Amino acid sequence: MDLPLLSASFLAFALTMYAILDGFDLGVGILLLFQPVAASRDHMVDCITPTWDGNETWIIMAGVTLLAAFPTAYSILLPAFYLPVILMLLALGFRGVSFEFRVQTTRLRRRWDIAFGIGSLVAALMQGLILGGVVQGVTVQNGRFAGSVLDIVRPLPIISGVTLGIGYAVLGAGWLNLKANSPVQHFAKRCVRICSPAFTVLFGIACLYAARIQPFIRAKWGSHEIALTCLIAAFAAVAGTLTVLTEKLRASVLFFLGLSVFAVGISGIALIIFPDIVPCSVSLWDAASSSTSQCFVLIGAAFVTPVVLGYSAFAYWIFRGKTPEEGWGE
Amino acid sequence: MRLDPSILARIQFAFTVSFHIVFPTMSIGLASFLAVIEALWLKTKDSIYLEIYKFWLSIFAMGFGVGVVTGIVLSFEFGLGFARFAEIAGPAIGPMIALEVLTAFFLEAGFLGIMMFGLHRVGPKLHFIATCMVAVGTLISASWILSANSWMQTPAGVAIHGDHLTVLNWRDVIVNPSWPYRLPHMISAAYLTASFMVAGVGAWYLLRGIHQGFARRTVALGTAFATVLIAGQVFIGDILYGTMLKYQPPKMQAAEGFWEEKSQSPAPYYWFIIPDQPNQRNRLELGMPYLGSIWLTHSLRGRVEGLKNTPRDRQPRMAMVFYAFRIMYGLAILMFGIGVASLWLRFRGRLFASRWFLWTLVFMTPSGIIATLAGWYVAETGRQPWVIYGILRTVDAVSPVPARALLSTLIGFICVYSVFFSAFLIFTLRIIRLGPAEAPPHAEASGSLKNAFRPQVLDSPARVVSTQSS
Repeated sequence: MDLPLLSASFLAFALTMYAILDGFDLGVGILLLFQPVAASRDHMVDCITPTWDGNETWIIMAGVTLLAAFPTAYSILLPAFYLPVILMLLALGFRGVSFEFRVQTTRLRRRWDIAFGIGSLVAALMQGLILGGVVQGVTVQNGRFAGSVLDIVRPLPIISGVTLGIGYAVLGAGWLNLKANSPVQHFAKRCVRICSPAFTVLFGIACLYAARIQPFIRAKWGSHEIALTCLIAAFAAVAGTLTVLTEKLRASVLFFLGLSVFAVGISGIALIIFPDIVPCSVSLWDAASSSTSQCFVLIGAAFVTPVVLGYSAFAYWIFRGKTPEEGWGE
Repeated sequence: MRLDPSILARIQFAFTVSFHIVFPTMSIGLASFLAVIEALWLKTKDSIYLEIYKFWLSIFAMGFGVGVVTGIVLSFEFGLGFARFAEIAGPAIGPMIALEVLTAFFLEAGFLGIMMFGLHRVGPKLHFIATCMVAVGTLISASWILSANSWMQTPAGVAIHGDHLTVLNWRDVIVNPSWPYRLPHMISAAYLTASFMVAGVGAWYLLRGIHQGFARRTVALGTAFATVLIAGQVFIGDILYGTMLKYQPPKMQAAEGFWEEKSQSPAPYYWFIIPDQPNQRNRLELGMPYLGSIWLTHSLRGRVEGLKNTPRDRQPRMAMVFYAFRIMYGLAILMFGIGVASLWLRFRGRLFASRWFLWTLVFMTPSGIIATLAGWYVAETGRQPWVIYGILRTVDAVSPVPARALLSTLIGFICVYSVFFSAFLIFTLRIIRLGPAEAPPHAEASGSLKNAFRPQVLDSPARVVSTQSS
């Protein structure tokens, strides 16, 4: 059995779970910056409070799977993205503690809301920056990172950072539309109308620019013409529906379409990078750890992931329906 | 000044991991404490337990939050600062941490929301299960991470070919020689930490003459737990000492402060030394005569082995290991004394009246945290110059990241973590100052899973909450 391929699938699964689940949490955080009414901000945070922690855990899952199954890639990519990773971690830190600290104070709650919003925004930008950096390529010599930590400050990573931030805002607005009460719901719909076309256009620009600077993407286009065309068509169809029918769609459909846009986008990126893990330099199989390590992770994941998904769904179900206006109490 | 990346990477890791461990230590202890309190509440229906639960839950929640966000940093930091370590050790410690995430982090995160906000949605029984799940999650997490760290202390079950490490036997990796003793040592340290926090806050209220019912119950519980735990901890610590002496002699040689291959006879027990590492001697040493022989060799005139038994390039820095060990050990002796005193006062019926004892408890509130930190400093600085003992040296494990980048992020971490710590401290002290909110005198509606399925539970949270808090 091709163990590295299975591990890579699990890694991709964890990253996708992270992007869509913490994506809407971060999106709500970003939108917090644009919400002037204090009571509405409280309500927005209440919409994600009971379940955010589990959503964030998927990034640890992805990071640790990379360490366990592809230690070579882990030891190349983290030094390469040293600055954005640390900025992302600090930003996620601010976002995370703000959940707990903002409710402890009424006088300084505005400040913690700003920390919450900026933390979410910076985390999203840095994640996009890292994604753009991976597609742009990493300098590798003798299996070690040999570039500069500032290689990341180039047009493609920056465009993809902004794109991801706006994409998360679409997911966050979709979630608020589903969970929040009417004033915030109107705000959420307006955000979808503004952000979803912006996200679509930026994503298109990022793709075209990436294809222009990276010959390997043009080569992929040749070999996966049909698959990539289908993905682009699907992306355009879903993003178009989202933009045009914002008012008419049911809240759950709207949110689901947001998730679908992300799923399609991630599949496209995965298709382009595969079978490498560090594009153009290290393949999945070159970076893989020995089969005993792969087996241990995969067997564990095969047994435990269904249970994790089960009780995570249960936690969502406990807090189902609209978020109570006055918060969760206690 | 030329900055050394390996020193900066080590300072950064030491700072972030030291900051982090404070919070899980509290969380592990408090989660189990909360589970015990909720069990007592369900059994006795005494509302004082609900009051204790809600009070400590709010502090637990903040500490847990800080622990989570500073913990995420660590799972990436292996690669950020120590890429070579990640590359070599990844196949062994990576899968263990992956299983930690799967079996513990998700469990804690999944049930934390229910624990914090779900009492009225799911009812007390299911809520109690959620509390237990969070507590079990913290223990599973401790078990995996101690396994990973113990493997770095006493590696086993792997083969190394050049730069590649292959796991031969997972059982040997997970149940490595030091893990069976280090895990209970850490868990009872976490429980002691929570016990002294709980007792210390209660003692403060007793001294101020406020919240008497709450204070008496928590001081009684806290000191009772602490007394049992410290007796066990001394025992576990002694076994661990023997294990580490067998597997990592330099660590224990440094911890005792002797240099010569065989110390004088009888050996004193040093409490204060000024080590001179370059000349392999102490400039000054103060200790209690005979005690070293008695404690360390269990005989009246036994000789203790010194650090010169270890070649110079494999020696840890004596000062760090020695003083970290003294702080941990000194606090353990104090805790033991308090345990004995609490038994005596309890027997005499003066546990809540003796002011000197209550003041001591107040000062001991953070003692568990300090002792745990000191213990980790013994473990980690005593393992140097190795990062994986006997396999990979710390200097060879560092990432190809320039010193300037490391320095700027180190400053970033210090600034941000200072904000986190100040906020945590200010809000915790404020919660303590405000005191526990009176819990409703009547018992909660008996809840069950069926209750969670009823639609009216969803429709009327506002009403339930407002009647509860009025």
